[in-house]
Amino acid sequence: MRNYIAVVFDDTSKAYEGLHALWQMDDEGAVTVHGTTVVHRNDWGEYQVDSKDTHPALATAVGVGIGALIGALAGPAGAAVGAAKGAAIGAASGGAVGAVADLGRADTRDESRYETAWVLGAGQSAVIADVSEDSTFPIDERMRILGGTVHRREWSAVRDDKWFDDRSLYPYDGYLSPYDYYLYPYEYVPPYSPWWAS
Amino acid sequence: MQDTQVKDAVDQVRSATQQLHKAISDAAAKRGGAAKADLEAVPQMAKAAIDSIKGSMPAQNEVAKKRLAEAVTYLEATGKHAADGVKSSGKEFQTSVRQTIADARAAAQKVSEAVAAKRTAGATAGARK
Repeated sequence: MRNYIAVVFDDTSKAYEGLHALWQMDDEGAVTVHGTTVVHRNDWGEYQVDSKDTHPALATAVGVGIGALIGALAGPAGAAVGAAKGAAIGAASGGAVGAVADLGRADTRDESRYETAWVLGAGQSAVIADVSEDSTFPIDERMRILGGTVHRREWSAVRDDKWFDDRSLYPYDGYLSPYDYYLYPYEYVPPYSPWWAS
Repeated sequence: MQDTQVKDAVDQVRSATQQLHKAISDAAAKRGGAAKADLEAVPQMAKAAIDSIKGSMPAQNEVAKKRLAEAVTYLEATGKHAADGVKSSGKEFQTSVRQTIADARAAAQKVSEAVAAKRTAGATAGARK
């Protein structure tokens, strides 16, 4: 099965350990990782994605906003709010709204039984990943040992979100989603950022 | 033994597409002439990755073959857009870089999906034994 996962850690350095562990599991063949990124939320509630220095062209490619990404992974309502409000505003509201909405959804749909609501709290970091896994156990167990909590949303469910049909959000390619531009298809650890300390 | 060789071939292809994406996004983070100079190497890198994929395809299962064929299409587009970028400037250059990144990202994803298809098939076959 293919899922987007968010592994939430209280400590940023642990999040990078989690990132490394995921790619190590891929190398061992336990899971297949299609892309990863690390997201931080500072004490003021602002989000940051670790990425390379941004060329204007690349900035446009990822312009849909980290709010939409986090909102979509938290739940369908989160995606709508995140997309509508855009980058920073969407980040602040999208994740929380999506999480609340998905609690109700998970009660009524069997197929979403392993989808869990989550909110990235101030000072926390999360590894976001697109993975193929035959069982949820390997990732759950490895991340539990590292102190992370794993949340999942089906890859196809995220793709089915209604707002995802808005081609203006990702006009450059018919296959990739806006999220894919945030997710590196290899282990990418950026230089140290002051955000990590928040 | 054959399985190990096949795994190695697909893993090498995956590594090549990952390196290609990395090279392009590193180039995109640079400015002006430096970005263009780095972009010049991309068509050749894309071609090498295509050749590797074509060499590894015959031994794959149908799903993996399909994903790899799609990756070839994206790699061809990667090379074309990178070549367009080298010849252009200003807004056209930025558009080409954007398209090149998107194509390389999609190619890497398709190869990764081929790896997943192969692993799933392997796990299923193992469970039947």
